Amino acid sequence: MSNFNSQSTPRSRPQSKPLSKPLYKNRNRSLAQGHFNRIAVCAKWLLLCLLIIPVAAGVIGVFLPAMGYFPAIGANQFDFRVFAALFDVAGIHTMMWLSLFTGVVATVIAALFAFVLLSVFYRSQMLSRLQIVLSPFLVLPHAGAAIALVFLLSPSGFFARLFTFNSSAIASANEGVFLFDSYGISIILALVLKETPFVLLMAISVMSQPLIREKINGYFKAGTALGYSPIAIFFKLVLPIVFPQIRLPLLAVLVFAVSNVEIPLILGPNDPSTLAVAVLHWFNHIDLSMRLQASSAAVVQVGIAVFAIIVMLAVEKGFTFYGKKWLQRGKRHVTDKAISAIAYLLLIAYVVLVVSAIYTLVAFSFAKQWTFPNIIPADVTMVHWNTVLDAVLTPLSNTVLLGVSVSFSALVLVLLTLESEPLNTGKTRASLLLPTALFLPLLVPGVAFLYGLVWFQQLILKDAVWFHVYVAHMVYVIPYVYLSLAVAYRKFDNRYVMVALSLGKSPMGVFFLVKLPLLIGPILVAFALGLAISFSQYLPTLLTTGGAISTVTTEAVALAAGSSARLSAAYVVIQAVMPLCGFGLAWWLSNILFKPSTTKISTNKSSTGKSVRSV
Amino acid sequence: MAFVRLACLTILIIAGSAYADSLVNGSDNPIAGPVVNPQTNPKTDANPVVRFHAWGGSAQVNSYLKWVADRVERKHGIALKHVKLADTSDAVSRVLAEKAADNLHNGSVDLIWINGENFAAMKKNALLAKGWVGDIANFALTNPDSNSAMVTDFGEPTLGMEAPWGKASMVFYYRKSHFDSYNKPVPQTIHALLQFSQQQPGRFTYPVVTDYLGISFIKYAAIALNSSNQSLFYKPVTQNALEKITPSLWTYLDALHPTMWRNGEYMVRQASQLQRLIGSGELSLAFSFTAAEIPSAVERFDLPRDVRTFAMSDGSLANVHFIGLTFNSPNQAAAKTVVNFLLSPKAQAKKQRLQVWGDDTVLDTNLLSPSQKSMFETQQSHPSALDKSQSTPLYAEPHASWTDALRQAWEERYGARY
Repeated sequence: MSNFNSQSTPRSRPQSKPLSKPLYKNRNRSLAQGHFNRIAVCAKWLLLCLLIIPVAAGVIGVFLPAMGYFPAIGANQFDFRVFAALFDVAGIHTMMWLSLFTGVVATVIAALFAFVLLSVFYRSQMLSRLQIVLSPFLVLPHAGAAIALVFLLSPSGFFARLFTFNSSAIASANEGVFLFDSYGISIILALVLKETPFVLLMAISVMSQPLIREKINGYFKAGTALGYSPIAIFFKLVLPIVFPQIRLPLLAVLVFAVSNVEIPLILGPNDPSTLAVAVLHWFNHIDLSMRLQASSAAVVQVGIAVFAIIVMLAVEKGFTFYGKKWLQRGKRHVTDKAISAIAYLLLIAYVVLVVSAIYTLVAFSFAKQWTFPNIIPADVTMVHWNTVLDAVLTPLSNTVLLGVSVSFSALVLVLLTLESEPLNTGKTRASLLLPTALFLPLLVPGVAFLYGLVWFQQLILKDAVWFHVYVAHMVYVIPYVYLSLAVAYRKFDNRYVMVALSLGKSPMGVFFLVKLPLLIGPILVAFALGLAISFSQYLPTLLTTGGAISTVTTEAVALAAGSSARLSAAYVVIQAVMPLCGFGLAWWLSNILFKPSTTKISTNKSSTGKSVRSV
Repeated sequence: MAFVRLACLTILIIAGSAYADSLVNGSDNPIAGPVVNPQTNPKTDANPVVRFHAWGGSAQVNSYLKWVADRVERKHGIALKHVKLADTSDAVSRVLAEKAADNLHNGSVDLIWINGENFAAMKKNALLAKGWVGDIANFALTNPDSNSAMVTDFGEPTLGMEAPWGKASMVFYYRKSHFDSYNKPVPQTIHALLQFSQQQPGRFTYPVVTDYLGISFIKYAAIALNSSNQSLFYKPVTQNALEKITPSLWTYLDALHPTMWRNGEYMVRQASQLQRLIGSGELSLAFSFTAAEIPSAVERFDLPRDVRTFAMSDGSLANVHFIGLTFNSPNQAAAKTVVNFLLSPKAQAKKQRLQVWGDDTVLDTNLLSPSQKSMFETQQSHPSALDKSQSTPLYAEPHASWTDALRQAWEERYGARY
């Protein structure tokens, strides 16, 4: 089994030395086992292809027009004129600066906020409550979060209403400093709001891995014995262990932050906008020759992302450099009180934001007349929900169909890929490629490769819209499903597998009868996460379908600019409820399907099988 | 609502972009061919068939045309068939193909609902019957002699090739409670608008010029500020003409922008956001191309009850849509009868009703008899709706080439806002 190498000898049968039983019986088993192994390895390669090919094709499809090659409009000479033209565009430098500035600042703040929260709550019961408070903004798509912020922060928004006491006041027109401001503060705010929970969750999941957890516990004891405060222990001992593990996800957040379209489109400035919004605008321009400019801007966007990563790594280096000196000084306390105060303020801010956002959105979706500065609507009606429910059926079914098929196939591929890892103990080419490939779609800005991808899709299978949107979603869903499941796999106690194997189960049997039932909880959560990621995709859906397939999120972004605040609110509510349904279903199903507390798993081979079937 | 879609469609068509709308079901595909074989359907037939090729994306328009079909069937024994188009240019290219194939008498399209670029294309290729509009008795009620918008389609003289059917004109709407508290009159001219915005900063804005309502506001301002040079707008744009027009426009906008919502630094991307900002009370004054959408938004609670609609007294930009008669229609007499019915006060009054379609009449109500006039007045019931008994001067759409020229000049001066 250990010599099995999928690339050089795909037809070779694995030798199952540890399971040598009577020959004829063994051959059947090793055949089945070979199939399973082969399928798992195929799945791994398919997964790699799904991650790499669309991104690579997309980058090429954007790079060629940027270099002046776009045969569809008769441009087929390679040169740098397109870039020269791009840098002549008025305000281009402001656009680039705005993208870089908002992305880097938001990511740094989000990371700091997450660490501050963790440092105060990492060893307390509050941590799980904290996760509950943060979860609404975690599952809400970026577009929904941005729309919710507009509802709260605009001069006629909920907070302005709360602090307006003159009942005949007219909403202020110019005092909402936070929205559409030319410094991009509103963009930073929305990004921080969305990314802090994500960074926090990433850190928590790293910290809960068995090996790291043990290490942290040891450090904590040692630190406490030496008189360090818990907050100081976190920053001086725990963070240095955790940070390298979340560096890649953090960089993915960074790349998203510098290149995302939804948030600046909904609450960013437009004189000028961020580069990503301009790219979107140029790509959608009626004049096809604008594609060249859009492509060069997309390439510049990649450059900005790379530069942002360099800046981020430099920031990290700076922190490490001063951190070491700081560590050597050996102070037992950091500014503990200030940090706890910040953490509690953050917590309160999140609670206020979540509660007021839920109230405002739900109330707006039912409101009749609701004039400024009233805090409650004059009356309620079902008229908006009736309109939405009439119109939402197609987008909703598209969303669910797409989400379920994408998330399910991603789940299968990821499970098989993870399964292929222990089977192939040697480092294969695929397993070396995997970590890089997983972050590829997250590290290449969407606006850069999606347009190129669309170009290729126009050349190949022009009418297979569902296939294209499926592939585009897979590219984004696979990494998250993988990351979420890999943690569970790492936590999985492999002794169950060893026992089952030693009792004569084939790897396939072990997978279906031992691993799947034991991992059903994390698997369902990964499925729900895949659903949530698929639900939230705006740009991939819009671009690959050309608007032919509408989803709840594309409709919500369209309606964010629509004339009805009430319909827009209703769509955000749907956007928030859908992923929550997914996670709720995952939680409920995992309770129904398999409860370790009520079903005793014995290591006995037959009862392992039966206990699963009978539940 | 229907007209918003129509206007968007027009813009898309102007842009030359293929607008494939799945709203229209396949069985009505114009490619499927006429229902009636032209050979067996001479004019003398007892029951002539008129095929009206019209955009079919609006339920309101479709049900109105169904009502029209019922009426002409009962009254004139004409079977009116609404061929629902996804894209009007499909029908245009169909007629063009027929002409190329030497089908000069038995065309499959009788009437076609067009304006703007499609009309220009049909005119250029001589696909429309000429001078037939004068035969339509009710056409005189549009007062074409003093109302050039009825005989000009985006700057192109219609030469009697198409009859006006309906129009949308730019209307302004405001929050009455706001103006009561400002204790100021509502601005009625382009200059008064600037004065208002200077006195109450932040209460007015317009969308970016890539939005059709945004460019429409620029057109309105350009025409209103250049009343002595208005004729320039109805010819293809030249560099000279543009240079004559822009100085007064830039002076005006330079003064207006700093007084607008968010000091003019942020301008809304879509016209629909104007309505939202009026609803939330951040703006006091906004405008629209669809007068009918204002009261219906109040009914849906998106706008508060104190919203009032009016038209600027110095003129409002009007966008007329027309019905063309093809050169090879085998049923010209019956088609003209249908058009005459569509232009009748009764049909026009019905079309204008908010519950039906809300599309403005092209008739000059001053030429109507008191009883005819009353048909238009009875529906003036909603306090937020435009008072249509007042007739205001209309500015016809400038020649189609002005749209791009003005947009480009604006973006050069004020920056492209995405």
